[in-house]
Amino acid sequence: MSKPFLTLYCLIIYAFLLAPIAVVVIASFNSGAFLTFPPQGFSFRWYVVFFNNEVFMRAIRTSLGIAAITMVISGIIGTMAAMFYVSHAGRLKETVRITMLAPLLLPEVLTAIALLFFVYSVGIGTQTMFGMVVGHVLITLPFVFINVSASMESYDPSWSMAAQSLGAGRFTRFRRIMLPLIKPGVIGGCLFAFIISFDVFTISFLLKGVGMSTLPIQLFDYLRTNFTPEAAAVSTCSIVLTMAVVIISEKVLGLRIHRF
Amino acid sequence: MNAAPAKKGLGPLLLIAPAAVLIGVFLVLPYLNIVVMSFRMPGQGTPYAPGFTFGNYSKFFADSFYIMQVVNTLWIGFLTTFLCLVLGYPVAWQLARGNSAFRALGYALVLSPLLVGIVIRSYGWTILLGNNGIINRTLSSWGLIDGPLPLMYNALGIIIALVHVFLPFMILPIMSAIQGIDPSLESAARSLGASKVAAFRRITLPLSLPGMQAGCILVFVLSLSAYVTPSLIGGLRVKTMAVTVVDALIDTFQWPFGSAMALMLSVTGAVVVIIFGRLTVMKWKA
Repeated sequence: MSKPFLTLYCLIIYAFLLAPIAVVVIASFNSGAFLTFPPQGFSFRWYVVFFNNEVFMRAIRTSLGIAAITMVISGIIGTMAAMFYVSHAGRLKETVRITMLAPLLLPEVLTAIALLFFVYSVGIGTQTMFGMVVGHVLITLPFVFINVSASMESYDPSWSMAAQSLGAGRFTRFRRIMLPLIKPGVIGGCLFAFIISFDVFTISFLLKGVGMSTLPIQLFDYLRTNFTPEAAAVSTCSIVLTMAVVIISEKVLGLRIHRF
Repeated sequence: MNAAPAKKGLGPLLLIAPAAVLIGVFLVLPYLNIVVMSFRMPGQGTPYAPGFTFGNYSKFFADSFYIMQVVNTLWIGFLTTFLCLVLGYPVAWQLARGNSAFRALGYALVLSPLLVGIVIRSYGWTILLGNNGIINRTLSSWGLIDGPLPLMYNALGIIIALVHVFLPFMILPIMSAIQGIDPSLESAARSLGASKVAAFRRITLPLSLPGMQAGCILVFVLSLSAYVTPSLIGGLRVKTMAVTVVDALIDTFQWPFGSAMALMLSVTGAVVVIIFGRLTVMKWKA
């Protein structure tokens, strides 16, 4: 392909990738009662409807809460696992890596089904948030692991040994030497875990308890029966929130988040 | 950089213990439990009853409806994968070899859809593809069509949306494969008189095969197990296997039969991936 032709082709593909997202954002400012294109006029009407809709507001709070819990648990477990992987795994390195990435490599729908049966079999059920949080932690763990282990690649174990020879205990060594150095990876991994958890659908859908709908579930339920632009307003807020987290972490905090 | 000598004692093992317990108890055991579940007796009013049976599998194989659904799901998976490969390869090449200003932006554009929830992206496609959607309205306002084109509630709509959702998963592995090819190999071929096309076909394309293989497997597996997109775009009219399985579990509580269906889909998918892997490895060693 010649150069201008290739560039044009890529632009078309980028447009294809962005089209459905752009359409949702544009539709959210529609002033009409139905989704029409081009929009009938510009208004924030559907945002007002959305902010006054207790069902969606509750779903947002649930989503944020679960994402925060997930982020903390996944952040701690994933960081510990990455520390083991980089400095102690030895010959098991490849096994540890594949195991840690397994939740990412296995189909989400199967993991969700497996967890659903399991929490029932052991008598936990879906009365509590337990099953859903476990599912979210599993799905987000690989992202924390990838980010933290990447930031540890430049960590020299001799720094730790130097601190040890100066009398620092294991925990002090971690807190004073290692943590400050791997902090970007930990923060990046945690933020990404937050975003992923906020957007996870299938696991939440199968493992949600009564009255614990997250935002994606509420949106999905709404879309099966309704066609007003309110769903577009909800979606746009969700997109803005996710993008804000990414932009803050990459531009303001200067983190480089590893997604794969 | 390099691994410190493994220290004696249980200390380091405590680091991996929480993750190992989490994955062991809440991933490995539950997956094995699906297999057990698929042999359980269907229950009345409960998800399953005591006792074991092969009945769930014989029910699956006795009904051509389910077999056809697996075939349809595989077919949707094949087409989605093929389209992602054909559409994504030039973009991956441009991202790996193009000039850098364009590259950073392009990279961000390929990655950003991944940050938007799957429900929202599928919703965007319903706005575009519906009978009253943007595409149909635009075409009819231009007088190009009389009635709405059937873009939604069929396999076509599902494939369009799935290609959109999974295209980044095809572009990224191919991009890194091409980035790993030394550009001087191509220059060498060119200096020995190969045309641009020949250099691409004989050097770059074969060397990027591992990336293509990884992307194809990823996209194929993801599209077989996709739930949200087929269920929002296909509606009640076209169901893929993943949708049927989840509905059987959520709406009618047929856990044993749902497990059997899920396993049959997984096994078929795995067989296809293994055959594909064998064929492509042979190809690039030959």
